[in-house]
Amino acid sequence: MAFLDNLINGISLGSIYAVIALGYTLVYGIAKMLNFAHGDVIMVGGYVIFTAMTSWNLNPYLSVLVAMIACTVLGITIEKIAYKPLRQATSLAVLITAIGVSYFLQNIALIIFGEKPVTFTSVVDLPKISLFDGKIIIKSETTAAVIISVLIVVGLSLFVNKTKSGRAMQAVSEDKDAARLMGVNVNRTISLTFAIGSALAAIAGALLCSAYPVLSNTTGAMPGIKAFVAAVFGGIGSIPGSMIGGILIGVIEIMGRAYISPQLADAIVFAVLIIVLIVKPTGILGKKVSEKV
Amino acid sequence: MKLKIKPHTRKSFLTYALVIAAFTATQIYISSGSASNMFQGLLVPFCVYSIAAASLNLTVGILGELSLGQAGFMCIGAYSSAIFSVVTKDTITNVWIRFPIALLIGGIFAAIFGVLIGIPVLRLRGDYLAIVTLAFGEIIKNVFAALYVGYDSKGLHFSMTSQGDLGLEPDGTMLIKGALGISGTPKDSTFVIGFVLLLLTLIILYNFIYSRTGRAVMSIRDNRIAAESVGLNITKYKLITFGLTAFLAGISGALFSHNLSILQASKFDYNLSILILVFVVLGGIGSIRGSVIAAIVLTYLPEALRKTGSSLTNYRMLIYSVILIVMMIFTSNAKIRGFFSAQFMKLKRLVIKDKTPAVKEAE
Amino acid sequence: MALLEVKKLGISFGGLRAVDEFSMTINKGDLYGLIGPNGAGKTTIFNLLTGVYKPTDGSITLDGVNLTGKSTIEINKAGIARTFQNIRLFSNLSVLENVKVGLTNHYKYSALTGVLRLPKYFRMEKEMNERALELLKPFDLQDDATTLASNLPYGKQRKLEIARALATQPKLLLLDEPAAGMNPKETAGLMETILTVREQFGVTVLLIEHDMSLVSGICEKLSVLNFGQLLCEGKTSEVLSNPEVIKAYLGE
Repeated sequence: MAFLDNLINGISLGSIYAVIALGYTLVYGIAKMLNFAHGDVIMVGGYVIFTAMTSWNLNPYLSVLVAMIACTVLGITIEKIAYKPLRQATSLAVLITAIGVSYFLQNIALIIFGEKPVTFTSVVDLPKISLFDGKIIIKSETTAAVIISVLIVVGLSLFVNKTKSGRAMQAVSEDKDAARLMGVNVNRTISLTFAIGSALAAIAGALLCSAYPVLSNTTGAMPGIKAFVAAVFGGIGSIPGSMIGGILIGVIEIMGRAYISPQLADAIVFAVLIIVLIVKPTGILGKKVSEKV
Repeated sequence: MKLKIKPHTRKSFLTYALVIAAFTATQIYISSGSASNMFQGLLVPFCVYSIAAASLNLTVGILGELSLGQAGFMCIGAYSSAIFSVVTKDTITNVWIRFPIALLIGGIFAAIFGVLIGIPVLRLRGDYLAIVTLAFGEIIKNVFAALYVGYDSKGLHFSMTSQGDLGLEPDGTMLIKGALGISGTPKDSTFVIGFVLLLLTLIILYNFIYSRTGRAVMSIRDNRIAAESVGLNITKYKLITFGLTAFLAGISGALFSHNLSILQASKFDYNLSILILVFVVLGGIGSIRGSVIAAIVLTYLPEALRKTGSSLTNYRMLIYSVILIVMMIFTSNAKIRGFFSAQFMKLKRLVIKDKTPAVKEAE
Repeated sequence: MALLEVKKLGISFGGLRAVDEFSMTINKGDLYGLIGPNGAGKTTIFNLLTGVYKPTDGSITLDGVNLTGKSTIEINKAGIARTFQNIRLFSNLSVLENVKVGLTNHYKYSALTGVLRLPKYFRMEKEMNERALELLKPFDLQDDATTLASNLPYGKQRKLEIARALATQPKLLLLDEPAAGMNPKETAGLMETILTVREQFGVTVLLIEHDMSLVSGICEKLSVLNFGQLLCEGKTSEVLSNPEVIKAYLGE
């Protein structure tokens, strides 16, 4: 029974990681950079929802929408100010800038909201699912995470494969210069990528804070790292890979927490990353990215 | 044709001279009695952070890879050296034997971890080192903060949960008390020792950089594919560099732990890793001298500002994040750099009225 | 006698057959040219020969040693060195240091020796400096020894790349469009240099080139590549007058 309970929680947490991982994988595949600040955009989303619900008294769904808009604007702004000037720079320079942005967001939140974590009110209002005569109760947040992440993965796959903008994203991901020569507006495509990733971060923030209702300025950091591990595990650059990697990492983390040690759960996830990097760095569904020589 | 390696020797010797001069000036200042307690308390930290920053610059500036785990290596160095000193403080009473051994132990343990992490990650292309070192730093801090170690007549006891779970005999001694860390480390660190260690660190770093190995590492940074094409074993050189960075970080951690009465893992957090990175970025990526200067200035400034009661210190970390972003854009974006160097040239020509026509800049 | 034997080399990228059934034999001391229209796969073959790509079919043998599937590093140690179509210099190192990096595997001392500045360090560095200057002389670069590589004019950068490749003591030197961006006078100088280099360093040369004056000027034998396949091979004069070859370049 406890095992099933843990499994369900693992899948649910993993679904949230999947949504976050999608943001990493999209940006990595198309803008060819690791957006360190992604985890912290999640935190921003959480705080926007919190402020919207407590200070502006908006209803949960409207709050999430406001957060999605805020995060999208934030993502595009970050891209324009911090990342775009560095498109020709070394990957080290981009990484350091991304760290800077991440640290900036964390400390702005610290200044605005203070050190003390706030209690988040769940935005999810679905009925609880009761199994096995009440021996297992699945909270609405848990169900919502799974359903929403599946919808997002499916929706995103359709978008990338069937729409003009989506196919432009694929083109830029394969060969930026060739895409430009074919008439693709590379700048707009990259902005769109960050917009989508950031909107997803807001949703992830809603789900994460609803399931684990304590929000502070560092709330986004660890899930961000774990979601990155998930993206690498599933295959960085692959949308279905994010889903698979996310679920697997979520399950591994919850199982590790339950059956090995709560303190070492993070270390276990980290160990998974090391193993993946040793055995198959491109991940489960990843494709090898070749350099031009 | 005779070729002397002039520019390199000049650079390194100027740095040694600066450090020696600063040390001498500081000693004079202290003996004059006008140095504040705050200042004197910062002397060992100056050395700790300088060593940490200079060694990080080896990986970031010379190898060209981002490591976010400097705090983790410092933590390992701090704890391993502290345990040794605490356990041997009654048996090895001569501090001139015990402390150097402690320092070495700190450095070696940190280096071992550096190589262990490096092996899976450094052979890959891409930005994995940043994430792995970030995770490493967090995990080391969490593990040490949850670690309880004690010894009694039956030997060593470990626990990850609580002091009670150790099953320690009543007359046993606690070594590591979880989040409360290690207390009773002999305060062996002095400014003189710190200065000597810093000088040694600089000599090691400069000698490493201006050698066959250093050249190979820089060639990997500048163009990995070309480096492969001339037969360089990329992974080997990356591991040596990262291991050396970890070793020196461990030494700085050991210097740090022997300057505190209580050593706690919480000090070695992400903020510390970022702080050291800011020293490196502000001082100039690749400039060892710059790292030392930035480390000292940015260690002194917040304390001095705090004394004046300025509220700027609350925004310290925010300012650091802006420094990172701004420094990167300014130094990496050719247009922005060109714009500012053109403005600078115009300004120079206004101030220095020279009759020679404007010389074209080689950029 | 054959130095390089390439037999039925092939590679596919996804659905694209970039190189197919390519064979070539180069004898010791040859000055061999690989030509063909743009996109024919010439650099791909260089990448195959130097281990950047692993072939899906065929074999590569150098001086009797099978190099198929080996890494770039192993292949360089076995005796193949190259230059790149888009120059790949170590931009933050000086001209001399660029060449010295090429000497890394031939003048060895440990990192520890360097850090401790033991006598071996000074001895080896002195020898490396001398050897590096020797390598720069044929290219007239010795006076630029302390210049930063990225500050060199384009033509000198190309020559530096060749000097660095030679530092690795290769048996076979691959030059990828060495005359790209050069005017006729520079190209003529380059032709001289390549001939001198072959003689002075006893190295066999395979080059890719579009500049026909260089190709007809110094190459003794040619292989013509079109759409990843061997179109024609043989003596330079015969190949260049072959109507199939002319058609491939001019298109019809």
